[in-house]
Parts: sequence; structure tokens; C-alpha cells
Amino acid sequence: MPFPDIQILSTRHLRGPNVWTYRAAVEVWVDIGALEDHPSNTLPGFNQRLQAWLPGMIEHRCSVGVRGGFFQRLLDGTWAAHIMEHVAIELQTMAGLEVGFGKARETHQRGIYKVVVRARQYDVAHASLLAARDLVMAAINDTPFDVAVTVNRLKAMADRLCLGPSTASIVDAAAQQGIPSIRLTEGNLVQLGHGSRQRRIWTAETDRTSAVAESISRDKDLTKRLLAQCGVPIPEGRIVESPEQAWEVAQDMGLPVVIKPSDGNHGRGVALDLNSQAEIEAAWRVADAEGSQVMVERFVRGEEHRLLVVGDQVVAAARGELACITGDGISSVAQLIEQQLNTDPRRGEEEHFPLDTIRLDEQPHAVLELQRQGLAANSIPALGRRVIVQRNGNMSNDVTDLVHPEVAELATLAARVIGLDIAGIDLVAQDISRPLHEQGAAVVEVNAGPSLLMHLKPASGQARPVGHAIANHLFPLKDNGRIPIVGIVGHRHTAALAQLVAWLLHLSGNRVGMACSLGVFMDQRHVDTQDARGHDMGERLLINRSIDAAVFETSPREILLEGLPYDRCHVGLVADMPALDGLQDLDVITADNMRQVVRTQVDVVLREGVAVLNADVSAVAELEDLCDGEVMMYGLNPDSAILGAHRRQGRRSVFCRQGHVTLARGDQETTLLHIDLAPVARLLKHEDMSVSHLLAAVACAWSLGVTPTLMRAGLKNFRQKTESESQEKARMKA
Amino acid sequence: MDISRIRALRGPNLWTRHTAIEAMVLCQGQECDLSTAPDFEQRLRHLFPGLGQLRTTQQGAVLSMAHAIEDATLHMQIAAGCPVTFSRTTLTPEAGMYQVVVEYTEEDVGRLALELAQALCQAAWDNTTYDMDAALAQLSALDEDIRLGPSTNSIVEAALVRGIPYRRLTEGSMVQFGWGSKQRRIQAAETDSSSAIAEAIAQDKDLTKKLLHAAGVPVPQGRPVLDANDAWVASQAIGTPVVVKPRDGNQGKGVTVNISTREEIEAAFHNAAKFRDEVMVERFLPGSDYRLLVVGDKLVAAARREPPLVIGDGQHTVSQLVERVNADPRRGEGHSTSLTKIRFDDVALARLKEQGLNAQSVPAKGLRVILRNNANLSTGGTATDVTDDVHPEVAARAIAAAQMVGLDVCGVDIVCESVLRPLEAQCGGVVEVNAAPGLRMHLQPSYGKGRDVGKAIMSMLYAPGDDGRIPVIAVTGTNGKTTTVRLTAHLLRTHGLRVGMTNTDGVYVQARQIDSGDCSGPRSARNVLMHPHVDAAVLETARGGMLREGLAFDRCSVAVVTNIGMGDHLGLNYITTVEDLAVLKRMIVQNVATSGMAVLNAADPMVAAMASSCPGQVTFFALDPHQPTLTTHRAQGKRVLFVEDDQLVAAEGKFEIRIPLSHIPLTRSGAIGFQIENAMASVAAAWASAIPWATIARGLSTFVSDAMAVPGRFNVFDYKGATLIADYGHNPDAIKALVQAVTNLPANRRSVVISGAGDRRDEDIRQQTRIIGEAFDDVVLFQDACQRGRADGEVLALLRQGLDGARRTSHIEEIRGEFTAIDAAIDRLTPGDLCLILIDQIEEALAHITRRVQENRSALSAH
Repeated sequence: MPFPDIQILSTRHLRGPNVWTYRAAVEVWVDIGALEDHPSNTLPGFNQRLQAWLPGMIEHRCSVGVRGGFFQRLLDGTWAAHIMEHVAIELQTMAGLEVGFGKARETHQRGIYKVVVRARQYDVAHASLLAARDLVMAAINDTPFDVAVTVNRLKAMADRLCLGPSTASIVDAAAQQGIPSIRLTEGNLVQLGHGSRQRRIWTAETDRTSAVAESISRDKDLTKRLLAQCGVPIPEGRIVESPEQAWEVAQDMGLPVVIKPSDGNHGRGVALDLNSQAEIEAAWRVADAEGSQVMVERFVRGEEHRLLVVGDQVVAAARGELACITGDGISSVAQLIEQQLNTDPRRGEEEHFPLDTIRLDEQPHAVLELQRQGLAANSIPALGRRVIVQRNGNMSNDVTDLVHPEVAELATLAARVIGLDIAGIDLVAQDISRPLHEQGAAVVEVNAGPSLLMHLKPASGQARPVGHAIANHLFPLKDNGRIPIVGIVGHRHTAALAQLVAWLLHLSGNRVGMACSLGVFMDQRHVDTQDARGHDMGERLLINRSIDAAVFETSPREILLEGLPYDRCHVGLVADMPALDGLQDLDVITADNMRQVVRTQVDVVLREGVAVLNADVSAVAELEDLCDGEVMMYGLNPDSAILGAHRRQGRRSVFCRQGHVTLARGDQETTLLHIDLAPVARLLKHEDMSVSHLLAAVACAWSLGVTPTLMRAGLKNFRQKTESESQEKARMKA
Repeated sequence: MDISRIRALRGPNLWTRHTAIEAMVLCQGQECDLSTAPDFEQRLRHLFPGLGQLRTTQQGAVLSMAHAIEDATLHMQIAAGCPVTFSRTTLTPEAGMYQVVVEYTEEDVGRLALELAQALCQAAWDNTTYDMDAALAQLSALDEDIRLGPSTNSIVEAALVRGIPYRRLTEGSMVQFGWGSKQRRIQAAETDSSSAIAEAIAQDKDLTKKLLHAAGVPVPQGRPVLDANDAWVASQAIGTPVVVKPRDGNQGKGVTVNISTREEIEAAFHNAAKFRDEVMVERFLPGSDYRLLVVGDKLVAAARREPPLVIGDGQHTVSQLVERVNADPRRGEGHSTSLTKIRFDDVALARLKEQGLNAQSVPAKGLRVILRNNANLSTGGTATDVTDDVHPEVAARAIAAAQMVGLDVCGVDIVCESVLRPLEAQCGGVVEVNAAPGLRMHLQPSYGKGRDVGKAIMSMLYAPGDDGRIPVIAVTGTNGKTTTVRLTAHLLRTHGLRVGMTNTDGVYVQARQIDSGDCSGPRSARNVLMHPHVDAAVLETARGGMLREGLAFDRCSVAVVTNIGMGDHLGLNYITTVEDLAVLKRMIVQNVATSGMAVLNAADPMVAAMASSCPGQVTFFALDPHQPTLTTHRAQGKRVLFVEDDQLVAAEGKFEIRIPLSHIPLTRSGAIGFQIENAMASVAAAWASAIPWATIARGLSTFVSDAMAVPGRFNVFDYKGATLIADYGHNPDAIKALVQAVTNLPANRRSVVISGAGDRRDEDIRQQTRIIGEAFDDVVLFQDACQRGRADGEVLALLRQGLDGARRTSHIEEIRGEFTAIDAAIDRLTPGDLCLILIDQIEEALAHITRRVQENRSALSAH
């Protein structure tokens, strides 16, 4: 009697930091049913089958902490949900998305588990979990399972859905610099940084890549003209009227030359590498027969090179490989390509292969190249004849260290002349380590949005950290592109608290975005009235280019369902422990469960950030050990045990002493104002604003450098102004 | 008549500041005097009534066929709509040969006009027919085709108003403004800071909506729906009324707008699903279409747009109504008028059908019959300027939309009832943002006031007060140009500027030579002005290029004229006298900016006289502090430079600064007079460019004029204790100056190596050796490689004639070949001698001399 399938009860996409991890994850709740009574060591043949299907899991250390740790757990006996987690991780890794994080935890209900794995891409991670369930069931019930098919399916999904390798290299490099990213489309458009500090990239284009420069780079003639004017060598060409003139011009230009029809974007009538008068005059007649004018162009000898210019530097260079076949007198060109070129293990269809598979029907350039040599796909080259198939198909040999400084200078100039901040400069040279003019080398093309792959995965030579170069170009001087973010969690009236914090930040000259239960506010404008504590609404603030600082009110439910809408914050405020009631459906039953949820707000505080904790709630104050950054405490009583201890350590705190709101660092104290002051007293009469809230808001503002003078003015002004404004609006409407 | 040579003068030129076509027209017989062919003008007028009055500008000149061609070329362009006014015909010293110059705005149009005018005049002369209408149509079609479109033109016009130079990069709408490192580019209403990513975002409607929503800009919310029921659910969430439409649909097929009830919405879903699998439900925005133009962070114009429509009168058919609307004289065919004719084509007929009408229907009185869905001007739509009505909150949303997407020039399409009220108050929203928006609807709206949006775009490209120019120093004269150019460039470089320089040796940007050969023409100068790394340009401006193409710049900040003297290359290109030459070289002075400076040699009367042609200020320099022009200028408190007590003195009013000549190595402590003059000219140019004096002094002290730095300009070598001086001097003035300099240097015996260039006048060749004979003991004459049309030995004979009766010369040798001549002179040297070698092939000769000097040195050290 086979075991019934593990039931998947619910699925959630944790898009931001959550109770499990800082990063995006998929959480499923599963019911393993009868398997609760059958750990792995009790299932006959199960461990062997599983290990045979997924031998790579030997690397899973699991809680044992050594290689083979997970297999040890299987032997000792572990439960299906936990196994499913490991299988999901392994499947993702095999599909090319390496992930390390996973967890399986019992709920308060017997047989029901939460299984979580990190999601580099949600759909792939989700599909891996489903496949893991099926694989585990197959191993348990001893039914067949085709691992290879599953992995290929996941791999195809990953190729389709994940960022392309060029974009990914930039995003990863940015992440290493601490720069957050938000993917804006299913394509490769990514925002790096937040709000007004953000930059955008789209593969290797940036938001400073000029559209006009791109049009110039697409106009080959204009590109050549502009480059020549600034002294960048190009293969100069001239229109000629007769064979005699062609020879004359060729001598003038220097041999060898190319002769081609002036509109020659097709290969017909093109002749390369001509040296003699007879060749040139004959080639003129062939080209002239094509109907347009005939052009003599300097033939540039050598190999194609691609130099990647980022900002004002050449950051990588690759030399192209000529793809050649040699005739055997029997096989056709197409067959020779299959035999001699496509068998190269570096060639493949997918993007991560350094070289493309050559398919003549998809590569008109190769067809042209063959035409110039008088061949077509079905021609049979003579025995021993060497035929060039691709001159510029793939650049694959890294030559970055060889580039002569003058060549680098000219490449950089070429990018500047066209107006591109990132450019791929194609140049033909015999030796990239010598100045161009010495060898008659020339720049043949300037490309916007160049592929980075050839530098990331060269067929030979060293890989270059071009993603880092671009990230540095976008965010120089260790800028991490972050705007100040305040995250707030608490029990009651945290929206009012968020409003007060946003108000104080607004007064200090920031355009502040705020998302809370009352909706979305942008620079004090109430733009949306729906509850905005969810991930999507919160992310709106970070996408907005005109936001200098953001304030988020968060609830435990949102953390559990979706995770926080930001990766890290500068200020994490915990005003109170939220009430437990109403979260049973999410398996939050005990105070410790709640602590696990709320701690997320403190976990995400940046090293240079501040956790602002309510000293009057001991469960809150106890979170201080979890904070990477500074901890600031506030409380009604400066001499309470917790606040007193905190102050004695010389740390910052905010409290109310005999009605005076006071900022203190150790025993250095600044009095802000008295709570009986009329406007403040009026403020405190509203049921959503308490003295404790006032202190919390002041602490947040202080954390972000708002001056006491401004805080004083702001507290006196809060809501007074908004009230008069709404009266004004009412009057206008009337 | 015969037209032998046509040139396009692409910058200020001898004749005019305008761009112009110059043609050499040869007339014969009666053609030279039209009064002998009285019927010709009448026939010409009959063929082309638009002809102007035939006139001559030279006193006493006789009207010729050339004048007729001149006027026809001008007036045909005028008839084709080109704003041109200047033309002129001049008789050359050659019988029957005229120079005809006619202004153009587009070179190709000017060339074609000349061609057509010639054919026209020929037809009138031969008394045959000529299809004038076809000719003018051809001309205006060409002009329409290549002249800038209205959007681009408005930006270029704004640049012209501000004095910002521009240059078209393509026949299309790509234009570059400014020079060197201050250049900017546009392509129609797109600038070089318009981000390619932003443009891609603007084309992705869903992404645009997502981003605008994130920025708090109201957009028609919506989502794809699965079925009719889902469509209803979606509309409840979005809020009614809604639009139901196929996703990515076009031409409005399957679209149902402004519906609210469940029945309507479900029916609309089924209708839309006929056209596409995916159906969208979107909030319906009631009202009119508005286009708001955002430039940078400002709203600069707004227009209400209406599709082409006619209003029924209960009597006429739709097609009659369209005809009546199109009869409006304001409705033209192209882009030149504020309205365009309504296109009554298949699209219009299809739109009629949707309204249950056809071309022959007679719509009821007052019925608005829409003929197209879009409101483009080019298909007959109208635009009404509403710029002054836009509520600040509406403007703020449009600006936020542009900034969120990242476009610096952005057309924001809004649908709302009125721009007088905030969008939020009336369910209005932004439906689209457009990169490179058309500007015509704002420049020339169908109704209301035109807005100068070109000006707004220009003020974003260049801050107020910035004219996009870099300092341009033009240098001309008979001698000393190259040294002056190099020294001036050195002084600017010492100040930290990245300098672009052209001269007879090549084009240099910073330290790098980017072109070689004689680069003193306008093409090289334009290349320097195009180079993005150039902060200042120093341009040697030779006569050839000025004649051939005019100047490369419309105006310069400093013009330096070193001297005219007795002139050089006289007789070429109808420049026959020194006076003609002065008129030509004066061009750069005439084209000094009003805020600029002419630096003129006071000691050369021809040069000094140019002061009156200068629109800006003048600095005079002269070796002699008592030179009358200079002293007068100084007394007036203006800038002068002169030499006093072995010091270079710069003075202006009470200001005075002195630099000892001993601190200027170029002058050999003041021994070489012409180098002092070159130094003064360069210092004056640097002073005019506001280079600090400490920098100028430092630059003077670090400038070396050796064969590396300034090849062929007084390069001094030591050879066996004798002094070798190599120089490229090749005209009487240069030789005079060299002789003067050499005379100041101590020497036992003086020898000279000299040749003559075949293309000079006989007298000029003799004159060279006549000067030499007064100062040198030994003279080695050689015949150079290229005799430029002279017979073998002819030049040598002329050189010898100049030495007849020479006072000092005692030894003369004649040698064939430059190197042999140099060797012969060197071999005769003993310590304490001085030898001046007037080299011809600069690089090769200098290499040869350097080699000889090094051989000698290594021979010495080997001993």
C-alpha cells in the first residue's frame, strides 16, 4: 500500500526579509500525513534510492555540520518534509541556481510542517518544491522518477525567467557593494539603489546611456566619420568611378584594399584583401555590376578585438577567434561546420556557453563570409582548403592585460566621441599590445549595450569582473545607493507614529514616502488610501525616483505572509510587542513565536543603522542583542532598570523627565520641550498619540540626524498644519 | 557661358558671413555685355517673373550673363522658400571670367539652384522654352527634404539666438551644438542626455503605468481579465466607468469605452475577445486629450488635441464637409503650416463606418463626425494651446511622470475634463509618456499662442550665459604663424586647458597628433572643434582654406595677424597684390566676437590697418616702444606689448607687466627679433584668453623651439663648435627676419644653404638671394626635388641673379639635391662659424642634420 502524496496546504512567496532569512524565499505548508510515523530510516530502500538519484546531496552538511551530514540524518531517521526541503535545494542547484538556505519546521499541528527554501527566482523555486515532493514520494513508494528530465525542465525555466548573465553580473557585483536591487520587469530592467539615489540598468546599458549616442552607434557611416574627425583610426573608404581610379585610390590609401558596392550590406560583390592592379580592376567590375556605387576601403589586417569601455576606462578586452574549417573534398560546408566547429564543447545554444553553435540559417554574417569566398552551405571545399566561417562571431580570448595604453586611450576616446558611457569597441588589429597606427589597425564598430559574457566567461584566459566595473561606475566612492529607511512595528497606533516620523524627516528637507495602514503618502500627499503595509505598496516607495527617505509601518501578518518590502533599513523601531490574537492561522501561538516575527525588524537594521527599542517593554528591549548596528532606547522613566543600564553604558536614549522630552547620550542631556506645551498637549489628546509614541518618533528622527531645533518645531507643528490645510481644501471645494 | 569651378563656402568668407556658393563663370562675346543683347533680359523675365533687378556692385561694371546667373540663382532659392539675400558678381583680371557668389541655407539646394539658373539663362539666351514650375518644384522639394524639420529647427533657432554654434551631423535631425568639450547633441526633440532606458520604458505601457503609479501619478488602473465574470470583478475593484479592450490592440478594434453596468461590461468582454485572447479592463478616463510638454523639471507647454473631424450641417455629405474644411488656406500639405489637410482615406472611412456613416452620408446639423482616432496634426488633427491654463498640481504630475520614467524632454499625454483642476479631482490621468515628442503643436498650435519650446530645450542644454563656445584663437600672417600657434597652445596648456591645435604640420589634441600634413585649412579646424576633449583651440588659418571653403568658425575669440610684409604665394587664385592678401587675411579679424580680441602687429601697416575692421578689442604689439600706432593705442589706455630694456612689456592703462627676454628661451635672450614678435603675439593671445600672468611667464620659460617641438622653425644645433640653424623660411620677409636674427649672433664666417620654390614669381626668388648676399660669406644654392613647373636649372639661375653684386658673399656653390647641399655646407664649417640651412623637406632634412650632428658627437666621444 503506497503512501499518499504529501499535501501542500498553502504556498507563500516571501519576497523580502522574513522570519527565516534576509532573502526572498518560498514557504509551503505541507501535511505529510501517515509519514509522520515513518521517518526515513524506517522506509525500506528509500535512502538508497534517494542517494542514487541525487548523489550530489553528499555536499549537504545539514545540522550535523560536515560533508555527508544530511545523509547521516537520513540514516538516523528524519521526516519527509525535511527531506523535501533538501531535495528542493538540490534540484535548484542542479538547474544552475545555487541556493544554500532551507528550513523545515513543525507547526503546532501534528504532521503539518513549514518548508522553506531560498528563491533566487520564485517560479523556479516553487517548481523545485513541487518536484521535490514528487521525487520524495517516488523514492518512498519505489516508483520511477526521471531526475534528468526534471532538472532540464527547471533549467529551461531558469534560463527563461532569471536575469541574463550580463545583467546578473552587474546585480551581483552591486549586491557585494551593499547596493540593493529591484527587478522592474520580467526582462533585464533592474533598479539598483532606492528612491532618489537609484540608477537603472538594462543589460549593459545604464540610465545615462544616451539614446542619441545609441542611434549614432547604429549609423556606421556617421560613427566612422565622427571617429575619423577625432583621430581614431578607421578603415577609410572612397567612392570610385572607374577601375583605373580604384587602382589609383588603392595605391593612395595603401594596399591591401577591399572593394565593395557602397550600399553593400549584403555580401555580393565584396572582395577582400586585394593587392594587385589586376585584382582590383577585376573586383571593381564585379562590384559595379551590383548597381550601386563602388567603394574602395582600406583592408585592415588582423583579428577582431572587443574592448569594453566603462566610464573612462577599458576594463576588459577579448580577442576573437576566427572560426575556420578545412575541406576534405567530400563533405559540404554545412557538414564540415558540424564536424569541425559545433563539436567544440565550448559551443552551445544557451547563453552561458562562451561560443555559439553555428547555424548558417541563423547567422547571415557567416553566410556572407562564405559568399565572399565563393561558397554556400552545400558547396564542397577541396581537400585541405581552409575556409573562414566566422570572423567576428565570438570574442573569446581574454587579452585585457595585453592592451597597449594608447590603444586603451583611443578606445575610450571612441566611446566618448559617440557619447556612450558603456561601449564595446570592435577593432581589428594584428597585435593589441602595439599602438594602432604602427600596424594600420582600425576601429570598425562601436556598440551600445555590449554583451559582457565574453569577458565573464572567456574561452581562454582570465575572467574579468566587468560587473564590478559597471557597478562602480554607477555608484562611485562606495556609495550604496540607499536612502534612509525607517521600519516601524508595534502594537497600536503605529500609523500615527509613522506619520510623525515622516513629518519630522520631511521638515528636515527630505521628500518622504510613507506606507502605512492609512495608505501611501508621498511628500505629505496622501496618494492612496488602501492599507499599504504589504510588499507591493511598500516597494512603490523604493521605486519612486523622487523619494529621499521612506517610512514603513509593518505588521506581524505582513512579515509572515510576504516579508518586509525592503532588504535592510537604517532605523528599525519596535514600539511594542504586538498582540498575539488573530495570528493563529499563521501558527503564531506563543510569545516566543511573536518574538521570532518581530525580531525581523531588528535583524534588518544596517551596521551603520540604529534599532530604536521601547525600554518600557522588556520583551522589546531584549531584542537589542540581535542588532547589527547601534541600539537606542526610549522610555517614560529615565531611571527604569533597563533604561538606566542602557544610559550607564554611555549609549543614546530618549526619555521623559518630569514632563521634559530629553535626548541623552550617557549623561549628556538635551531637553527638547515639555509635554504640557499647548500644541503638544493638544497632540497628545488624540487617542492615537501617546507620550511613548512621541519619544519613539523623536528617537527615530535623532537616529537620522534631525536637529533638536527642528524636532521642537516639528512637534509643535504636527497636525496643526495638516488641519489648516484640510480646512483650506474644504474651502476650495466649496 | 561656361561654369568652370564651383565651391561651397561653408563659413564666413571673403565675400560674406553667410554660407555661399562660389562659381567661376566664363562669358564670351555678347554675354559680357547684356546691353548688346537687349531682348535677353526680357526673355529671361518672361520665363522667370520672380527674377530680381539685375545689378552690378562694382562701380563702372557692365552687366553680364554672370550677373543674370547670380540673380537667377538667388531668386530661385527665394521662390523655393529659402531665406537668402546675399549675392554678388565680380570680374576677375582674366577677360570674361567672373566670380559669382550666392548665399545658400542648404548647400545642396544652393548647388541645384545654380545648375537650374544656368539652364534657365541658357534657355533665355537661346530663346527656347524652360519649365520654370518644374524647376522650382524640384528645388523646393529638395529643400523640404533636407532642411531641418520644425521640431529640430525650433531648437536650432534657439541656439542661434543665443549665439551657440551648431552643426548638422546627418541629413536627418541630428545636430551638434557647441564646440569641443562643450558640445551637446540632439536628434529632433531628444537630447544626448535622453536615456535610452527611459525611452524603452516609455514604450512599455504596462511598465510605464507601474512606475507612474509608484510615483503617485494617477493612471488608468486596470488588469488583464480571464472571462466575462472576471471583467466584472475587475471593474468593481478598479471603479467604474471602465474601458474594455483587447490587449495590444490597434485602431480601436474591439474597444468599448465608458461602460458601468454588468451587462455592458460582459458584452464588451465578448466583443473584445473576438480580436485578441487577452482582454484588459481599465478605468475609463472621461474628457479630452491633452499633451503636456515637460523639459527638465519644468512644464513648458500644453495643448488640447482633437482628432480630425467635421461638423454636420444637415445638408452636405461627409466628403463635401471634408473638402470644405480642407479649403481653409491655413491647411497645408506638409509641416510648414499650423494645420494640415484632413486625410480622407481608408482609415477615415473605417472610422466613419464605426459611426454608422459613409462618405455620402449627410450628418445631422451639429453632429461631430470624427475621422480618425488619433489627434496628430499631420493627419488633420488640431491643437489648441492651453499652457496658461494648467493647474500647478496637474503640471506637478506631468513633471513627476517625466522624471519617474527618466526623460529630460517628455510629452505627457493626459486625459481629463479640464487642466484647470487637479487630475485627482476629476478622475483624470496620464495615459502615455512619449520620448522625442513632436513640438509642432506647441510651436504653431492650430489655435492659441505659440510657445518657444526650442528655447526651453536649449536652456536645459546650456545654462544661461553659456554659449557652448570654447576659446578659439585663429592665427594668420605671412611668417611666424606656426611658432605663434605652438607657443600660444603651450601657454594655454600650461594653464591646464586641453588644447586642440592645427598648423601646417598637423592636428594636435593635447599631446597627441591626430592628423599630419598641412592642416591649416577649415576641415582640420572643424575636426578640432568637434573633438570632445578640447577646451581651447588654436588654429593656424592659412589663405588656401579661407579661399576654398571660408572659415571653420562663425567667430573667434582671438584673431592674431603676425604680419603681411611683402606677402607670399601672390598671384594664386586672383590674389595678385599684397592689398588683396591683406583683405583676405583680415577675414579672421572681421570675424572676431564682439567680446573678443584682435592681436595685431603695429609695425606692419597692412596689419595695423585691420584694427578698424575688428568688432571686438585690439591689442597691438611691436618691438619698438615708440612705434606711433602702438604709442597712440597705449595712450588710449588699450592693450599693447613691446620691448624695453631687454624686457617684454605688456601694458594696458596703468597696468604694466614685464618679463625679461632672458626668461624666454625662444628669443635666445632677445637675440632673435622675429621670435620676440612671435612671443609677443602669443602672450597677447594668452592675455586675451585670461590666462594668469604667472602662468604665461612660466609657459614662456618652458617653451622650447627645437626640432622636436617646432620642426623647421629656427632649430639650432651645435656642430664641431659651429652653430647650425635650420629653418623653413621661404619668402623674402622670412629670410629678412632670419638674416636679422643671424646678424645678432656672433660668428666668424656665415654660410647659408638655400633653394627656391618654382611656383614663386621670378622677382620673389631673386629677392631672396639679394637679401642673403648682404649677410653671408658662403652661399650654397641647391635645386629642390620638385621644380613646380620650372625647367631644370631655371630656379638656380634666378637665385644666382639675385647674388649679382652681393656685398658680402665671396663663395657660391650650386648643387643638385638637398642633402648633398647640406653636407657640402657642413663640411666647410670650422669652430665659431654659423650656418643657416633653409630646409625644404622639413622632416627629412632635419633628420639628416640630426644624424650628422649625432655622428659627429659619437665620433668625438669615441676619441
